[in-house]
Amino acid sequence: MTTFQITDKEKKKMQNKIVQAWRFIVLNLKILKAVDHSKRS
Amino acid sequence: MANVVLIGAGFAGQTAALYLGDALGKKHNITVINRYDVFGYTPSWVWVGVGQMEPEKTTFKLKPVYDKFHINFVQGTAKSIYVDDQYVLVDKADGSGETKVPYDYLLIATGAKLNFAGTPGLGPHNGYTTSICSLPHAIDARDRLFQLMERMEKGEKVKIVVGTGHPGATCQGAAFEYLTNIHKVLLKRGLRDKAELLWLSNEPALGDFGVRGLRVRKGGQIITSEDFIRAIFELYDIKWQVQTGVRKVEPGKIYWENYEGVEGETEFDFAMLIPQFLGPGFTYFDKDGNDITDQMANKGGFVLVDAIYGLDWDTLAETPEAWPAVYQNRKYKNIFAAGIAFAPPGSISRPFVNPNGLSITAAPPRTGMISGIIGRIVALNIIDLVKRGRMTHSERMTEMFAACIASMGDSLWDGSAATIVIYPVVPDPRTYPNEEGRDLFVTDMEMGLAGAWMKRMIHTTFMHKLQGRIGWKFIPE
Repeated sequence: MTTFQITDKEKKKMQNKIVQAWRFIVLNLKILKAVDHSKRS
Repeated sequence: MANVVLIGAGFAGQTAALYLGDALGKKHNITVINRYDVFGYTPSWVWVGVGQMEPEKTTFKLKPVYDKFHINFVQGTAKSIYVDDQYVLVDKADGSGETKVPYDYLLIATGAKLNFAGTPGLGPHNGYTTSICSLPHAIDARDRLFQLMERMEKGEKVKIVVGTGHPGATCQGAAFEYLTNIHKVLLKRGLRDKAELLWLSNEPALGDFGVRGLRVRKGGQIITSEDFIRAIFELYDIKWQVQTGVRKVEPGKIYWENYEGVEGETEFDFAMLIPQFLGPGFTYFDKDGNDITDQMANKGGFVLVDAIYGLDWDTLAETPEAWPAVYQNRKYKNIFAAGIAFAPPGSISRPFVNPNGLSITAAPPRTGMISGIIGRIVALNIIDLVKRGRMTHSERMTEMFAACIASMGDSLWDGSAATIVIYPVVPDPRTYPNEEGRDLFVTDMEMGLAGAWMKRMIHTTFMHKLQGRIGWKFIPE
């Protein structure tokens, strides 16, 4: 297992609006996948 | 006509009330009993506590919502429950005395009882620390933080400690978020170099959050939540001390014990420590007036439901069905408990007892999302019972999702948040036969601006949903 560090490259990605817009979509898709299961309960 | 009574109007209670009112409100009697006449959006009290959000943006009045949904509202404090005679004894908030509220179905959704008394010297009223666990506390924390910053502006160097204030506390995520927001506020004010920040917690490891932590694959590497939080703390120059149970607080000093049994003390100028959470602590009486509380609730006052209690931790970790599915009391099947009020079968994180016999074990968290889901499940089942005589809904915490979004500043342009997505909250090694017992596509953690957008979106959508506004049913809990 490698020790994780927040590099300068990571910091730039964290504030890159296009990258973060994509991450926003992915996070919502993950939530929807879990919610879909929940709504069927 | 059925009488359905809910005690509590937090995430679980308010969600349940909307579903019940929508389905049954016109033909049946739905009543909510709550101490306050407002709903409080707890997750945003972190922002109130650092002055980033006005308190009134985190609340709304309950009565107008209930009027829309044909729900009766009794503002007061429930004291005792008569389980055979089927009524709740309530102390009314207007001072007019006690009233009996009869029920055919009862949902206890009271949230946490904040047990500051469990740690001498803890808390803003009779103690020396602050809290963000209620709105008045968060406002007080903000005011004290601002006073501290005035001292810092005059050149004073201070020590700020945030974490858990009891060996069995939970809600580490909220405390973590408060600490990262303090860091950001100090940075913005040019005061960060005047403060030493310390994370002090009962977690077995950094990044545990009471859910056993997580591991994800990122860019070909396995990263643990311990690595992730350590990286954030190193980036932000925040020190940390885990495996620690706070025993008492005196002015400027926190006394603790750790896993090794070492007793120590930490000085502070400002501290926000989460207290132990207890259950509602009602007294339950049977038809003969006997106190049967020990049959209805555990020692912490949490309501016993359809869980399997008494398993050792290793067995519990392999038994997903030990977690309740319908949140129904086994003896009194018309009594349910949702959100923080139900008694979990054990901790999610590995428990630990130190050589002095002190249990330093993070209690299982119940986030707003989870509480809302449980509220919905119980409401749908009560609707089923009223209409069809049988329940058709169930969901365990081994099937539920949780997102912990710890903001670091609230700006939607250059803010950030650490987002941890866990599915399921309680690992299920049978459904997910990997080392984590979790869905490895959904389970994730990351940091960035997207998290700040998510946090703000969730505040807005939850506030919209819980007021029963248009489309409320389509917004997930």
